[in-house]
Amino acid sequence: MIASHEIETRLREAAEGFLREKKVDIFLGYEKASFPFRTSPLFLSAAEKARRLVWNPFCTANLAVYLPRLFKAPADARAAKVAPPPPTVGVVVKGCDTRSVIALIQERQVPRDKLVLVGVACPGMMDARKAERALGSREALGAGEDAQGNLRAVVEDGTEVTLRREDVLADACLECRSPTPSIHDVLLGSPVEAKETDAARRRTAEFESKPADVRWARLQQALAKCIRCNACRQACPMCYCKDCLLDQTRPRWVGAGTDISDVTLYHLVRAFHMAGRCTECGACARACPMGIDARLLVRKLNLEVEDLFGYRPGAAVDAAPLLSAFTMDDPQEFLTEP
Amino acid sequence: MIDKRIPHTDLDRLLDRLGKRGAVYAPAKDEAGEAVLAAWPQSGPAVLEYRNFRLSPKALVLPQNQTLMCFKNGDVAEPALSDRETFLFGVRPCDARAMLALDKVFLGGDQHDPYYARRRAKMAVIALACARPTSSCFCTSVGGGPGDAAGADVLALTLDADLLLGAATAKGRELLASVADLLTDAPPAAVKEAEEQIQAAENQMAPVNVDNIALRLRDAYDSPLWETASQKCLGCGTCSYLCPTCHCFDITDDVRGGTVRRVRTWDCCAYPLFTLHASGHNPRPTAKERWRQRMMHKFRYAAENFDQLFCVGCGRCIRNCPVSMDLRTVLKEVGA
Repeated sequence: MIASHEIETRLREAAEGFLREKKVDIFLGYEKASFPFRTSPLFLSAAEKARRLVWNPFCTANLAVYLPRLFKAPADARAAKVAPPPPTVGVVVKGCDTRSVIALIQERQVPRDKLVLVGVACPGMMDARKAERALGSREALGAGEDAQGNLRAVVEDGTEVTLRREDVLADACLECRSPTPSIHDVLLGSPVEAKETDAARRRTAEFESKPADVRWARLQQALAKCIRCNACRQACPMCYCKDCLLDQTRPRWVGAGTDISDVTLYHLVRAFHMAGRCTECGACARACPMGIDARLLVRKLNLEVEDLFGYRPGAAVDAAPLLSAFTMDDPQEFLTEP
Repeated sequence: MIDKRIPHTDLDRLLDRLGKRGAVYAPAKDEAGEAVLAAWPQSGPAVLEYRNFRLSPKALVLPQNQTLMCFKNGDVAEPALSDRETFLFGVRPCDARAMLALDKVFLGGDQHDPYYARRRAKMAVIALACARPTSSCFCTSVGGGPGDAAGADVLALTLDADLLLGAATAKGRELLASVADLLTDAPPAAVKEAEEQIQAAENQMAPVNVDNIALRLRDAYDSPLWETASQKCLGCGTCSYLCPTCHCFDITDDVRGGTVRRVRTWDCCAYPLFTLHASGHNPRPTAKERWRQRMMHKFRYAAENFDQLFCVGCGRCIRNCPVSMDLRTVLKEVGA
């Protein structure tokens, strides 16, 4: 779509300006990958390299994941004396990414005043794996968006294949309720309205409607593919603990192998640690090399949080994180179950 | 070397025959339609239309988790090592070659891993040559090729309605002899066409320059390129876990009730805890040191210690990295 190209031009101008005027020390965006259907995160520090920035439907990565490491606090008072001041970071953020940034600000992991947020109203991102599956054993040599917003790929023998947008949009994008960044220093693209605002609820209800043994079987089947690579955790902007519970060896809370009880425990623990913190960006599912939909459990927990406490993570910068605060009229019927 | 022929339609019979002798793994499609190396027999015929499997076959010689021994009440028990033969059909030449790299680590020198050795000794590999490399393939640049038989006992190749076969080792000769009644001789014209197919596949791959890469890496140890190259690495482990030559492992004791199981699991040098010392010191504290280590291990230390690059050009790390890191780009920058 022409809009993508316009946004790309304005994005490059904005980044170049911020870097040249030293309004930011580093600018995070996306650049072309060596492969179709993908982009790669770009860490820019030179204004003249801003031309490398791209904007297209493959800008899927949630760049908020890099923010905690850029603002890591010094280890102790001695280190603090010689530590350089924190950088000012410019970053391209879609709607979901912005919520992650807000959630990180809420949890005091990144300071708002050291961020320059270049928000882009997002029409949805395309999933590389879905596109590749649709092509079967044909390999794409190049791909781009056409004027109708569909994906047009050129395959090895030179033929063009068109994949319908709705068939290649990422699962997380099909359920998106926050396409437009709610906070920003610059906003590119006209605000996008969320389309199917009850998609997450419907999908969760559909799964919940099945009997318990069917649900358990489906979960085990999905988790049986897990190779415990931790990609889901590493890709998640909200997983920034220096010492992850799931890695600890003294004591070893969760075994490191693929024993189904260890795998299930890993995912359950992660889901519970994400309740009220996950901003539904889908980075976990995208990172998983085995194609497990890591969002299944957390989506349910997030909806419970919304229903019980009226809270959505990453909605307001000055909101206290859910589990850090309480009010006297918090619902507690579930505490008094006999 | 290719000298035998069997029609595609008879492949299942060959696999069934091997199935009488031991466990067989052959290509299948999973519920998402992706090719996987799965236990035979399957619900349908063996699949021959695929590029490569997402997971490498290394899990069959080096499982993701493996019990090495158990302790209970002061007694040590070792799990019985399987005596069963295993036949892998449809492994690509890059993955077959990777087994040789793993052999150097687990069988060579003064280390002899009995758990690995037993599985490997009982394994026969029937590699399937590639007719259509992908844009992430670069086996020819790292000493391999789409029709390379290194690491395979039998090399197979699809040609029209036939599967051509040839033994590459004594084990392969024995294997083909055991199913000789299913095979006919491959006519010279077919063998020639097979060679042309392999040549065409070789020509399709864009070369990656690894000349003197070990020396270039040694000289680039302190280069600023590692800082920029590693910035986007998430430390997620996907590259190592999918890589057919990556073999680093962790050993932990799993205590349940009164029994302690000593378990070996896959580990990854990109993880922050990989080199964390008991003192708390970590000689590879950031992604930069860890990414540099990954490249050094595969392209320098392996070359220096084993005379073989620990990269077979399968491209899995490039295709599956969630942030699309490409080690070919880094190789180009080293010593540039």
